[in-house]
Amino acid sequence: MKKKNGTDGKDGTDGVGILLRSVCSACFVIFCFFAFPNRVLGQTQTIRWVADPANAQKITIEVVGVNAEALHRLRRGRWQPAQWRQWFAVYADEADTAMAGEYRVREDVLQFEPRFPFDPGLSYRAEFHLARLPGGRANAKPTVSRFRLPPRDLTPTTMVAAVYPSADVVPENLLKFYLHFSAPMQRGEIYEHIQLRDSTGRVVELPFLEIDEELWDATLTRLTLFIDPGRIKRGVLPLEEIGPSLQAGKSYTLVIRREWKDGNGAPLKAEFQKSFRVVAPDREPLDPAKWALQAPPAGSRAPVVLTFPEPLDHALAQRLITIVDADGQAVAGETALDDQEKRWQFTPRAAWRSGGYGLVVRTTIEDLAGNNIGKPFEVDLFAGVERRLTTSSIKLPFEIR
Amino acid sequence: MKRRSLFLTIALCCAMAQAALAANWTAGMVEGKLELQSAGPLAFGPDGMLFVADSKAAAIVAIATGDVKPGAGNALLKVEKINQQIAALLGTTADQILIVDLAVNPLSRNAYLSVSRGRGASAMPVLVRVKTDGKLDVVALDAVKYSRAELPDAPADKAVGEGNRQSNPRLESITDITFVDGRLFVAGLANEEFASTLRAVPFPFKAIASGTTVEIYHGAHGRFETRAPVRTFASFKIGNVDHLLTAYTCTPLVQFPISDLKPGAKLQGKTIAELGNRNRPLDMIVYQRDGKHYLLMANSSRGVMKITTDNIAGTDAITAPVADKKGLTYETIADWAGVDQLDRFDAKHAVVVRRTDAGAMNLETLPLP
Repeated sequence: MKKKNGTDGKDGTDGVGILLRSVCSACFVIFCFFAFPNRVLGQTQTIRWVADPANAQKITIEVVGVNAEALHRLRRGRWQPAQWRQWFAVYADEADTAMAGEYRVREDVLQFEPRFPFDPGLSYRAEFHLARLPGGRANAKPTVSRFRLPPRDLTPTTMVAAVYPSADVVPENLLKFYLHFSAPMQRGEIYEHIQLRDSTGRVVELPFLEIDEELWDATLTRLTLFIDPGRIKRGVLPLEEIGPSLQAGKSYTLVIRREWKDGNGAPLKAEFQKSFRVVAPDREPLDPAKWALQAPPAGSRAPVVLTFPEPLDHALAQRLITIVDADGQAVAGETALDDQEKRWQFTPRAAWRSGGYGLVVRTTIEDLAGNNIGKPFEVDLFAGVERRLTTSSIKLPFEIR
Repeated sequence: MKRRSLFLTIALCCAMAQAALAANWTAGMVEGKLELQSAGPLAFGPDGMLFVADSKAAAIVAIATGDVKPGAGNALLKVEKINQQIAALLGTTADQILIVDLAVNPLSRNAYLSVSRGRGASAMPVLVRVKTDGKLDVVALDAVKYSRAELPDAPADKAVGEGNRQSNPRLESITDITFVDGRLFVAGLANEEFASTLRAVPFPFKAIASGTTVEIYHGAHGRFETRAPVRTFASFKIGNVDHLLTAYTCTPLVQFPISDLKPGAKLQGKTIAELGNRNRPLDMIVYQRDGKHYLLMANSSRGVMKITTDNIAGTDAITAPVADKKGLTYETIADWAGVDQLDRFDAKHAVVVRRTDAGAMNLETLPLP
């Protein structure tokens, strides 16, 4: 059973609708008596807004009180949506283009089911034009009704939860930031809300790769913000024209402005700032021989701890390192990264057994400058030997005793 | 009489052959409700076949639109304040509408737009058609003939971590798609690794359409070699050889022959132009005028660039530091300011979506420069 969310004249959604309907009814009585005494005498049309009990934003709009003859014609004809919209249309806000949806006659009710849900807080207007119906009376006034769902709560609650890299010292050729939010955000024109300022407060011009696709995760709580690669790669024009986005020896502040709206349309709770110092570019490939592994005792659920001499990419370090047992099967457990992304920990779901294990690392794992295992971000072909790994992962064996 | 029946026989054979060919494109398609998770780049193939990139689902969908008859008259498309009109059609306000891509059906000349209704996590992907009479409608996906190609190496279905830490944040954004000679080319940019893939997926899609994947590299000045995410591309014949002209995110314009796209290949194209600083290539098309070929590229800062490709076969790869506007020469088309989306309308016109100074977005048909 559908709940009637607002019925014209009954729930008081719109005084205009009531007034128009009253005027309309009076006209019908007077005019119809002479012109179409059998068609609309005594008929009044009411528009009602009916919410789906399972989804308050899914509203069906109904017209009741249409005379039987008109209903019969509507049922019998093969009417196109464009024709229906002449008689009965629903508009968002002050638009003059009708909403898309499906029309039908169900028993003695005209129904319009919009293809899309209603937006909270937005006013909708339904118009029923009796005069335009086939065989309708030329000067009958339209029935109009307005409806509005309660607006969303726009109290700011969403915050920047974290920014990676978390270190306050980064290389000049830093490749990306990850911005984590406490709740889903809105996409579209996001770069207006992100600034990089130097130590004097001057805004750095176009430091980031601005692409319409906006590299969000599926939940819209994490944005990947690449530094413009044209200002990192040596030998391409942007770097030669205006230099790097970040310069060694200088300090910068990444600013996430409060005006950025979350998924509900509310601004952030507060502006976020992250200040950091820039050092020389890092052009060295990752070398796992420099990583230190600490194996826990057998029988415990203590974590395996892996420490790196430099911070690694926050997302990739969590995704591209796994632990396998002696049979090569992945060990189930939870990964964590801390100490400015220099320490990786893996806590198994079940206690460790004695024996051989292996740490499997995809060679595409990156440090902050996008250097991979065995291969720097930029390979200098003039430097002689091209270091390129043919394998896609490496395995570091370790023993649990 | 004899001649006439011969003509009729030939015409009938042609029609049958055409029908057989048309049937081939829908091989393996299913009919039913198509659920998109997102609607990104669009491209048209043969017989009104519309390809839609669904980045969120890591898939490409082919839809047999059946929209194969030329539209009424020779009207050029024009819709003022199209973002507001789409918003009204979808029952929302213009600030909740994102126009993601534009593709013109070469048969009907109707324009199709991929649109996001809403900007948050519950945003709904929608395809909107702009007919040659200027009217808009929503492309109904409740009962359509379609097929789907899942992209290889898609984000694993399983979540990483446990409890509150559960997430599977990796995603690949499809930045452009184009259909060339029975294959769909798909460029994708990862949101974690600094990497892009270029895939060639045969169409009709096979059961597992993994396609060919290549890694794209850029060799700056023949010295520094880096991975090079692809932003947008267009197919183009140099001599009789099909090439892709590709704009990288770091702004060089690069060409390579399509025949080089071999499984697992590492591809390094020839840099034929450096577009310079503050550039963000958005979209590009290739066209012919007065017997010459041109490339038209919508660009974030330089407006639309018209690039002469006359000497493309003979253009040397750029291998040394260059001043601005090196390589192929180009001119900026001042009248085309504000263009966000671009596609060919016919041999002489392009359809664009562009922003006016007042902030409105108009869909317009402009004569090719």
